[in-house]
Amino acid sequence: MIEIQNLQHTFAIGKKGKERRVPVLKGVTLNVGKGEIVAILGKSGSGKSTLLNVLAGFMPPESGSVKVNKQETATLNEAEMADFRLANFGFIFQNFQLMPGLTAFENVELPLKIKGVAKGERRKKVQQLLEKVGLAAVADHYPNELSGGQQQRVSIARALVTDPPILLADEPTGSLDSETEEDILKLIQSLNRSLELTFVIITHDEEVANVAHRQYRLHDGELVKGDKRHAI
Amino acid sequence: MQFKDQIDFIRQHMKRNKLRVATTILAAMMGCAFLIVLASVGFGLHKTITDDVLNNQKVTEIQVAGKEDSEEKISEKEIQAMREIDHVIATVKRSSPEAEATAVLAERKGFVPPVLVDFEEERKAGLVLSEGEMPKSNDEVLVGYHFAQTLLTEEEQEKVDNGEEAKGFAGSVIGQTFELELTPYEEGAESGTWKFTVSGIMDEPGKDWIINNKVYIDDSYGAEFNSKLSLAESFNEILVYADDLQNVGTITKTLKDKEYYVYSVTEELSSMDMFFTALKAGLIFVGTIAVLIASIGIFNTMTMAVTERTREIGVMKAIGAQPKLIQKLFLMESAAIGIIGTVFAVVISYGLSFLANWLVPIIIRSSMGDEEMGDFTILISVIPWQLVLIASLISIGVAMVSGWRPARKATKIDVIQALRQEL
Repeated sequence: MIEIQNLQHTFAIGKKGKERRVPVLKGVTLNVGKGEIVAILGKSGSGKSTLLNVLAGFMPPESGSVKVNKQETATLNEAEMADFRLANFGFIFQNFQLMPGLTAFENVELPLKIKGVAKGERRKKVQQLLEKVGLAAVADHYPNELSGGQQQRVSIARALVTDPPILLADEPTGSLDSETEEDILKLIQSLNRSLELTFVIITHDEEVANVAHRQYRLHDGELVKGDKRHAI
Repeated sequence: MQFKDQIDFIRQHMKRNKLRVATTILAAMMGCAFLIVLASVGFGLHKTITDDVLNNQKVTEIQVAGKEDSEEKISEKEIQAMREIDHVIATVKRSSPEAEATAVLAERKGFVPPVLVDFEEERKAGLVLSEGEMPKSNDEVLVGYHFAQTLLTEEEQEKVDNGEEAKGFAGSVIGQTFELELTPYEEGAESGTWKFTVSGIMDEPGKDWIINNKVYIDDSYGAEFNSKLSLAESFNEILVYADDLQNVGTITKTLKDKEYYVYSVTEELSSMDMFFTALKAGLIFVGTIAVLIASIGIFNTMTMAVTERTREIGVMKAIGAQPKLIQKLFLMESAAIGIIGTVFAVVISYGLSFLANWLVPIIIRSSMGDEEMGDFTILISVIPWQLVLIASLISIGVAMVSGWRPARKATKIDVIQALRQEL
């Protein structure tokens, strides 16, 4: 499903004209199969967010190849990449990234609006998903009226609403307390099992990584295989 | 994204920044209203003057003053050829004997310029009488509207010479027979006297200051006057009449092509049109500057909107919104500001125009007096649909252009940077 081959990336540091390139990813190779949960562990600055950004197409790789569903993402232009993301990826962010002016329902509905889905179909789908993540009762609440856990559930519902085969999660529980964290991780596992969704989770938290089928560690831009467990 | 959803989306955003959007709309409205009201003054003056021209002269009349490179008078044959031009209903020849004419009615007399006319052609041309009827015999004549008041007794003449007013002949001159004494301008020449009966009085001239005290005599008298008084050939005035104002232009052109010196209302109107078109274009240009100033507000509002919504734009791009869609949403928002501002501006402009047309004539009348104004009506402001269309296109176009750069900026927002922004 995801094939990353010898991915290399550098960042420019220093004043313009005098900048030097610092390698962030040094030939990362990773394959993720359908229905797998893969966790990338790493400390701050290890390059794990860069890996996710390149995988999501937010930035092009300097060298190497990223294939998602056999499609080389580097060959897509900005507009094609937007369509590709809409069809293939769902995103779960650390700080939820909900639209403050939209209700929980409208936030979940947004990707379907972008996709041009008709109103009736949209409403049905969003309702179903909000029930699935246990938020039907607060559908008309605005993000600032929801708890952190509820906001992350809205975010997960928004990621799932277009039925993408892959979910990319960047520190999905980074802003949550431990009890809520457990709830969200259980939800991820349950979604993985019931919908056979592929998850790539970027985290610095061992507990979160434990939910994955496979764990990798990014250290100094190199990917090292970690322990593999199936449950928390 | 469906169009209806796009509309909903920008409506939600505009509602979130009500005050800022409202003040920007206000600025756009003021700019557009200024443009419409300013240009409407040009349209108003144009209409006032055009109406004045059309009301105060026979609009279907074309004056033929002579022929290019020819000293000779226009012949009967040429006049006949003019009558045969399409849409010409009559061609009238008027000539004036070169002699001083005095009308004598009982003890009253007055100087009255004689005009030799063809009454049949005059009738076809639509000659309007205020009283009486067209002459039925050669010794019957028509007289000008002011003919009667020109006939003065000796006492009245003295009063007039002293700068006082005199009423002249008070009763009706219809049916009255008077003597017309013609004295050639040449010194020592013999004069002649003819008797005529008034059968009708001409209509009142269109302008207050025109005095018509002429005597209109059948042109069969022309030869008699000339031979008896040894007069030279008199000056001819040729007037061609069209069946409709619409055809005046075509007939004027036909006559010009035949190398006649021609003057018609269309000539006057076309030179006026040229002046007023330039004036209106100038006023629209000045008004557009106000719209451009308002556009700075729209540019600022949209730039702030993009800056404020950087994170939201980043999220939208991350979840699959195309740059084109982001750009379209921002352009629609600036267009919406332009459209709403324009709609309000049009309504307000009509209100201001109505107010100006009601108030300004009152002020002018009160300062100049009713007598001086007469029945002259002045339109200060006229807003035709074309002006509304031009102003709307300028205003909405400028709004969209000023939203263009912020919209482009929105499409170039980096997703990674945007998602890093604090909530």
